[in-house]
Amino acid sequence: MTFTQTTRRAFLRSVGLAAVSLPAAGALTACVSSTERSLNALTRAEARTFRAFATQILPPVDGHAGADELGVVDFADGLLARPMYNDERTIVQRGLADLDARARALGAHAGFASLRGDQQIHIMHDVEATDFFAVARTLAITGAFAEPSYGGNRNAEGWTLIGIEHRASYAAPYGWYDAQPVNAAGAA
Amino acid sequence: MNQRTYRDDEVVDFVVVGSGAAGGVLAKQLSVSGFRVVVLEQGPWQQAAQFTHDELSVERELAMLNRAFEPNQTFRTSPSEPARASLGRGLLYRRAVGGSSVHFAANYWRLRPRDFKERSVLGPISGTGFDDWPITYEELEPYYTMVEWEIGVSGASGPFDPPRSKPYPLPPLPNKSSGVLLERGARALGLHAQAAPMAILSQPRDGRSACQGCGHCTFYGCEFGAKSSSLVTVLPRAVATGRCEIRTDSTAFRVDANVAGRVTGVVYRDKDGRERKQMARAVVLAANGAETTRLLLLSTSLKFPHGLANSSGNVGRYIMFNGSSSTAGRFEHPLNEYKGAVTSRIIHDFYDTDPKRGFYGGGGIDARFPYGPIAFGINGLPDEVPSWGAEFTRALRGYYTHSVRFVSHLTSLPLASNTVSLEPDQRDRWGRPGLRLTYTDHPDDMRAKQWFRDRMQELMEAAGATHVWNQPVLPIDGGVHLLGTARMGNDPRTSVVDRFHRAHDVPNLFICDGSSFVTSGRGQPTMTIQALAFRAAEHIARFARAGEI
Repeated sequence: MTFTQTTRRAFLRSVGLAAVSLPAAGALTACVSSTERSLNALTRAEARTFRAFATQILPPVDGHAGADELGVVDFADGLLARPMYNDERTIVQRGLADLDARARALGAHAGFASLRGDQQIHIMHDVEATDFFAVARTLAITGAFAEPSYGGNRNAEGWTLIGIEHRASYAAPYGWYDAQPVNAAGAA
Repeated sequence: MNQRTYRDDEVVDFVVVGSGAAGGVLAKQLSVSGFRVVVLEQGPWQQAAQFTHDELSVERELAMLNRAFEPNQTFRTSPSEPARASLGRGLLYRRAVGGSSVHFAANYWRLRPRDFKERSVLGPISGTGFDDWPITYEELEPYYTMVEWEIGVSGASGPFDPPRSKPYPLPPLPNKSSGVLLERGARALGLHAQAAPMAILSQPRDGRSACQGCGHCTFYGCEFGAKSSSLVTVLPRAVATGRCEIRTDSTAFRVDANVAGRVTGVVYRDKDGRERKQMARAVVLAANGAETTRLLLLSTSLKFPHGLANSSGNVGRYIMFNGSSSTAGRFEHPLNEYKGAVTSRIIHDFYDTDPKRGFYGGGGIDARFPYGPIAFGINGLPDEVPSWGAEFTRALRGYYTHSVRFVSHLTSLPLASNTVSLEPDQRDRWGRPGLRLTYTDHPDDMRAKQWFRDRMQELMEAAGATHVWNQPVLPIDGGVHLLGTARMGNDPRTSVVDRFHRAHDVPNLFICDGSSFVTSGRGQPTMTIQALAFRAAEHIARFARAGEI
């Protein structure tokens, strides 16, 4: 039984359930906010592969930003550099290497990112049951919808995509149903 | 905040361990009554400006919760099974001034007269610790009212409410779209939706702002001060007496007792890890059902070899969390459930146990949407929707603003085999043993979850959902309601504290928090925890003044 088992599972769950202690919150922001970004956790090749993977998770649809435009690569690179995510970093790096190896087996020597979309999707289905897929998918989604200060969700466009007005507070009525006039029986 | 401070070797009147829902009330009431009080709180004193809407930090990394600092909890379903690292919810609470009242959802249901005497009404349930409380609703009612008026609770009476001596001090919060739909479903099925009582201000009060509808309640602190946590209600009033010190970053690990069997103070580690002891004439434990248990079990001595106040062997037994199940639905128009308080309408038609259902148990139903965008993206969509790709991305957009869950809040039976105990193989940073949870739902608890889920599915359909999908009925593996581990009772052989929260075994030790519960109620226990604390404080002050401690 180790902390790491708990941590990894926590990241995968819908309700965050456990984690080890946090480093200073400023560290992450600092490492992703410089305009001339240097990669922190991932190599440039890994970042390229993750970008392709994340784009298949959350592709741009209907004129909205997809994972790449939302900056999930920068987000993942910053998050995985934090010591509390050491486990996830290892899983992701091994999994990205595996995606590239599978691509090379198809003759794509430049790796997973150089494959056609349908080939990428085919490989992703093959690895869908792995820990890597779960962690990398979670990273992509988290990067799309976390506070923009973490480096992803650029210009809060992830929240726009999902339909959130993203204001600090809201006055009622909140939705369509509570905005309808109430009739004499008290029913909307 | 400027506050009176005490030296460790000053013998204060009371040390209160814990500054949350119960500890805050006890500290305030005892200091207002003229007593010198030191509150030991293991976490920091956060200010409203420190509260954020950062879902990654708050909900996924659980930055302020015990499990971020102490991931070494274990879980097993029975004593015959090896305890393994807890991968579920575990025992979950906030480590900070105000405790979990800082981040609770703020549902403030009262118990009902029958809750206190269910065993007498329904008869015993074999193999369980099902029992009457040693107090009645009528005895507790004035303190429920005190909670509502002291901290600020918004609500309106409903058709099944227990008698109340005063109306709510504040009108209900705005009805949400989910509340309108719950009402619609209820009307169609002949049920009765009513305004949810919430410990959140619907109007400005006591210098605090009304709810701003930001939608970040559960696990979040309120940056507007509208949520009626101990942090912004009773604790400032305790400090203002000039007799109460809230000592932060102070982790209690033993209550010392002398050869006469009286406690002399609380040994704790300060933020630098130094061992210190605050001397006191009496000790009040309000650390929650898990931490109170750990502290009692760690406080062994020749006189108390099995832990303090544990001659019954019931310290840590009978833990109850409140069962829950849910059904999800999508609607034609936007609900925008990410706005506003957690819920605005509840249904209490099924609160009481009905023998015709064939099981013990009952509860309430509300409508809520327990997802930030990250959590919703990870697993908020129905199973039949792809979990990645273009269709997934479009579904996130189509479902996030248009869906809601109906959620049940149910009974859990008290079982002696369901326990919080020390985990000897795991230590926290101060060397304290970790927490081990042993828990299996009683079969009736599982049946209640299933029965309620079926009702909620009917409600969701009656409300007009265009797509209904059920959530699985799952066994409990932890939770935020930590109830029953130092139960109240008149018999020292079967209970830990008496009807005034005094430990049967130790005349100057009082225990008052979720651990005092005899039965579970139907969720939303904080209201009752605080009513018990107001009542306990009154009796403790009376005993102290009479020289009876």
